[in-house]
Amino acid sequence: MRLTCSRDELATKLALAARAASTKSTIPVLGQVRLTAHEGIVELAATDMELSLRVPVEATVAEGGAVVVPRLATDIVRTLANGQVEFEHRANEGVVSLSGGQSSFTLNCLQATEFPELPADDGEALSVPVAPFVTTAERVARAASRDDTRPVLTGVLVRIGPDGITMVATDSYRLAVMQTPLENPPAQTREAIIPARALQEMGRLAAAMKVESFDLILSESQAVFRIGGARLTSRLIDGQFPDYRQLIPDHFEHEVVFERAELGAVLSRIGVLAQRSAPIRLAFEPGQVTVSAVSEQLGEGHESLPVTFSGEPLEIGFNAEFLRDGVENISGDEVKLGLISPLRPGLLQSGGDDGYRYLLMPIRLNV
Amino acid sequence: MRLIVARCEVIYAGRVSSVLPMATRLIMWKSDGSIMVHSDAGGYKPENWMTPPTRIVEEDAAIIVEKGPASRVERLEIRIEEMISDSAHDMGEAARLVKDGVERDLQIALADAPQTLGEGMKLVRREYPTPIGPVDLMCIDTDGYVAVEVKRVGTIDAVEQLTRYLEYIRAEHGMEACRGILVAESIKPQARTLARSRDMDSLELNLAELRGLKEPDLKLFG
Repeated sequence: MRLTCSRDELATKLALAARAASTKSTIPVLGQVRLTAHEGIVELAATDMELSLRVPVEATVAEGGAVVVPRLATDIVRTLANGQVEFEHRANEGVVSLSGGQSSFTLNCLQATEFPELPADDGEALSVPVAPFVTTAERVARAASRDDTRPVLTGVLVRIGPDGITMVATDSYRLAVMQTPLENPPAQTREAIIPARALQEMGRLAAAMKVESFDLILSESQAVFRIGGARLTSRLIDGQFPDYRQLIPDHFEHEVVFERAELGAVLSRIGVLAQRSAPIRLAFEPGQVTVSAVSEQLGEGHESLPVTFSGEPLEIGFNAEFLRDGVENISGDEVKLGLISPLRPGLLQSGGDDGYRYLLMPIRLNV
Repeated sequence: MRLIVARCEVIYAGRVSSVLPMATRLIMWKSDGSIMVHSDAGGYKPENWMTPPTRIVEEDAAIIVEKGPASRVERLEIRIEEMISDSAHDMGEAARLVKDGVERDLQIALADAPQTLGEGMKLVRREYPTPIGPVDLMCIDTDGYVAVEVKRVGTIDAVEQLTRYLEYIRAEHGMEACRGILVAESIKPQARTLARSRDMDSLELNLAELRGLKEPDLKLFG
């Protein structure tokens, strides 16, 4: 195998593909990247057996073939001089040579036959516009759990149908849901729980491939995203996703409207003192809210904001990071916070309804 | 426990051979079959020893300790020239090493609230004995027995320990399908992965919550 390609192109795509390579596996080949060259294209592929990525790179291929290179090649290519990179697999020596500018590297490599067979990427495809899908995923996926003891919560429920795209994620302390209408929605509804990580990688891939739409194939056990010439395959998470509609209260006792930027700034400042699991307190009284945090070891901070609040005073505590996440994901200038009582969940949404809802459970306050 | 102070020589034959020349030594002979030969130096470590299970034969002027099958037997021969002191003491029931406070408290709290481990879970007994030491709790639910090992921090070693217990427990009649749960205040990701690969459950529990001192975090759902 022998080829020449642009350093920029190869470095960008190698970095992208290598994100699917495993950093933890004891199987060496899963931590590496396969290159397959044929007729003007090199396909870079990596997988950790949960997620796989195949990314094309334009190249002048003098001799086709396939080889598996260490992830280190990503760092080498990135630091080579601008211009063309020459790549050669010397099969009889078990090495690849990489050169660009005045630099030359010889790296040990593995046989392509050791690389696992990647999942099939065919099936009934649904064409989905990139922008609404990626935006929805970005705003929702942060609420997914990172605790793999409940795998279903590490995923995002994705539903595409006549109502457009709906995504839901929850870690049981908070829940983010967003519904985005589509110009040409499909008549049939399709639904799957896709790992949050796969959606994040999908967003990166879509940005790199610079395409307007992609093909989504949802099968029984996997999701395939065909984005330009690139493909991302992810296993689906099996299980029963919590019924989010039942979790969102129908009615709130109070609806308080904030200026989003102002509230975000206050939460950032006061949140400095809300360390570890210490709550950030919101004490509402007619006309204002006082945001405060107390650290036993460090001290205390508070700041008041004028708000339209009436009725009996109400004090509620939230996880500072979760509350900030919710506010940051609101679009528009205004944030609406719905409250019932200090031990019932609060609901954040945009002042002008954009289909995004962020439900957050409070923390008990030891007054 | 028998304590013998004697002028003796000790000959060991087994994986290697060694001879301790004639001198005054303390021989500790424990009721579990352990034999340790101490001199008045060398710190806490015996000069020679044999761990149970052992076969011990006492002759007029010798104590012969053997271990292992005939094909690869280990033999410790203590030849006594002069007996200086020989006393036996009843030590009562052996006191176990005191477990880490959190582990012990978690074990007690869990024994009082086994349903925390799963719906319908009932306690069979604490300190369920196995040939290599007791597992913290033996419980039972509708699917059968469950061995529970309690740690402050759940590590790979804790999973290995529970695996060894389960090997012995599953060899008992009627316990072949015994499951395992590792319970700790925090469990390392590697330990979780290893436990999962061995079909064991792992569960993080907060001692304060278990005792009812701290109310659980509010959640949108269970």
